[in-house]
Amino acid sequence: MADGGGPGLHAGSRAVSDMRPARARTDTPLRVGVVGAGFIGETHVAAWAAEGVQAVIHDVDAGRAAALADRHGARVAESLDELFGAVDVVDVCSPTHHHAGVAIAAARPGRHVNCEKPMARTLADAEAMLAAARDAGVRLFVAHVVRFFPEYVAARAAVLAGAIGEPAVLRLTRASFRPRQPAGHWFFDHAKSGGIVLDLMIHDLDYARWIAGDVVAVHCRSASLAQPDAGVDHAVAILTHRSGAISHVSASWGYAPPIFRTALEIAGSHGLIEQDSTTTAPVTPSLLAGAAGGGLTGIADTGLAGDPFRLELAEFAKAIRDGSEARIGAADGLEALRIALAADASARTGAVVRLTQAAG
Amino acid sequence: MVVDPEGRAPVRIGVLSAEHVHAPTYISLLASMPGAHLVGVWDDDRQRAAAAAEPVATRAFDAIEALLERVDGVVIASANSRHLRLVEIAAGAGVHILCEKPLATTVEDARAIVDACARAGVRLMTAFPTRWNPAARALESAVRSGALGTPVFLEGVNTGTMPDIHAAWFVDPVLAGGGAVTDHVVHLADLFRWILRSEVVEVYAVANRILQERFAGVETGGLVSMRFASGVSATIDCSWSKPRSYPTWGGLSVQAVGTGGAFGIDAFRQRLAVYGTRETGISWPTWGPDADREMLAEFVSMVRDDREPAVTGVDGLRAVEIVDAAYRSIAASAPVSLG
Repeated sequence: MADGGGPGLHAGSRAVSDMRPARARTDTPLRVGVVGAGFIGETHVAAWAAEGVQAVIHDVDAGRAAALADRHGARVAESLDELFGAVDVVDVCSPTHHHAGVAIAAARPGRHVNCEKPMARTLADAEAMLAAARDAGVRLFVAHVVRFFPEYVAARAAVLAGAIGEPAVLRLTRASFRPRQPAGHWFFDHAKSGGIVLDLMIHDLDYARWIAGDVVAVHCRSASLAQPDAGVDHAVAILTHRSGAISHVSASWGYAPPIFRTALEIAGSHGLIEQDSTTTAPVTPSLLAGAAGGGLTGIADTGLAGDPFRLELAEFAKAIRDGSEARIGAADGLEALRIALAADASARTGAVVRLTQAAG
Repeated sequence: MVVDPEGRAPVRIGVLSAEHVHAPTYISLLASMPGAHLVGVWDDDRQRAAAAAEPVATRAFDAIEALLERVDGVVIASANSRHLRLVEIAAGAGVHILCEKPLATTVEDARAIVDACARAGVRLMTAFPTRWNPAARALESAVRSGALGTPVFLEGVNTGTMPDIHAAWFVDPVLAGGGAVTDHVVHLADLFRWILRSEVVEVYAVANRILQERFAGVETGGLVSMRFASGVSATIDCSWSKPRSYPTWGGLSVQAVGTGGAFGIDAFRQRLAVYGTRETGISWPTWGPDADREMLAEFVSMVRDDREPAVTGVDGLRAVEIVDAAYRSIAASAPVSLG
């Protein structure tokens, strides 16, 4: 499914997505470089490997890159330039505030770019990334992986099939524990990561827009759970869509490990869709061995219905190979960021932020 | 009549109006409640009074005065906008009052209801049964005991089917006072005030009229965000978002987050799933404890002991003020302050 033409797509994405690959490679496997050997970098390296692609890895921390490469039998590039020289696609998994720098540097020599969400830390950075991709004639994708989670895909398919009529009230929830990064980690530095709104809530902000279309007003309240450097640990945004639909989007790092609960409710003019990860888990082990409190960070169960990370990267790879659309374009990533930054600003000021999209 | 377990004279209770969907429930519970004597039902519609009285073989009164002179307390279960008039009559007769929620359709009426009872020296209780729901009480305990640490965020959902299936006045903007915001904000707003022991200082709300096949008479979808004086934030989804096909009327749930973790409740989770024929479909009858019974028992006890009820008229007024702020916010498309 590469429709990309749902209510959320903007004319603005055309400029980039109409670009054909700088170098068509339909015969040889795509060569992929992953920048950033952290949590999401490793997730992507593993997903690429499952797709038969042995990624080349670069990280400013050479030891960390080497350790990740060892775990997956991959190669390491000592520098970005070395990486760019060795691959067709650069998969940007670096800290959020470095996304733009890496993506633009990769685009200039003609590398296609897949960028982890959020697209960038600022709108200016995201716009510069779009411009760089356009200028270089390369594809640019933003990895909003929720668009590849089967339950979210199925819910959207039901909406598009008319099962519930016109979407009216959406309630999207993402609840987990505080990622176990050390104090001082970039993740907890709002200036670098954008906090819970840009990192966690943005998944559902993008999904709300995918279902109910463009957002014209954003209100958000947030709360900190009192750790000294915690930033915001719980936030709820209320969105007003241009269609008249309204969305309640909740993101939390306030729960106890190992929970990672996601829930969606889409109420429409003629029906209702409900889905909650706590009631749809197909496997509920309660094993004594290895009973522990969850990993580094909460992550949705992706095992049984198809790995969304694989589906996502495979769709991007296919789009690069054959020039097709992916279900999410760079302009969508930009709009998700625009909504997230508005929510973050609203949470700080208490005011409603009204949005006007570049593409209208 | 059921004799009080301690041998005291039963508290004489009447029901004023059976317009509200809860009236038959209250009548049935009061008819069998220890220590209470259900004297009868009055309604300005004689047939409705008779129909409400018949199942428990209580008396249907044609004249409201005739009922009022025979009772110690009344339960008012009329359409929302008619509460004030009935409260004034009952208070004038010196009778204690349990008034259905929302207390009124305007802040002015709600204040007049509280004032009328204070002037007459009668007790006024607002019908917020959620305070007696065991799951809600468990959340209150988790906050009170400190198990949740300092609460920082409460997310509430009180969604349901459109109540016009019970009575047409529920979707009449004048008689009901509004739609989903009027109908479903007050339970959680009151629960949150009770749990936090704090008042709402700011409200932001949005609403629309897309649900229920684009029913346009009143708002059917609504989301409300509020901030308490204590600094805690809370939200309420009050939408009439359950379609006719839903296996039950709706539900009430809260996810609370504090410095000590999170605490979730689902007030009506204790239910069966019953799969019937193609015609009867699926239903979810609840088997949990009956909060309505506990609420009515509190009213009877309050009347007998002539003391402040656990949920006062002022609690009802505060909830109406929050609803009013939500409508003001919807009109302004911006947060509004309160208090």
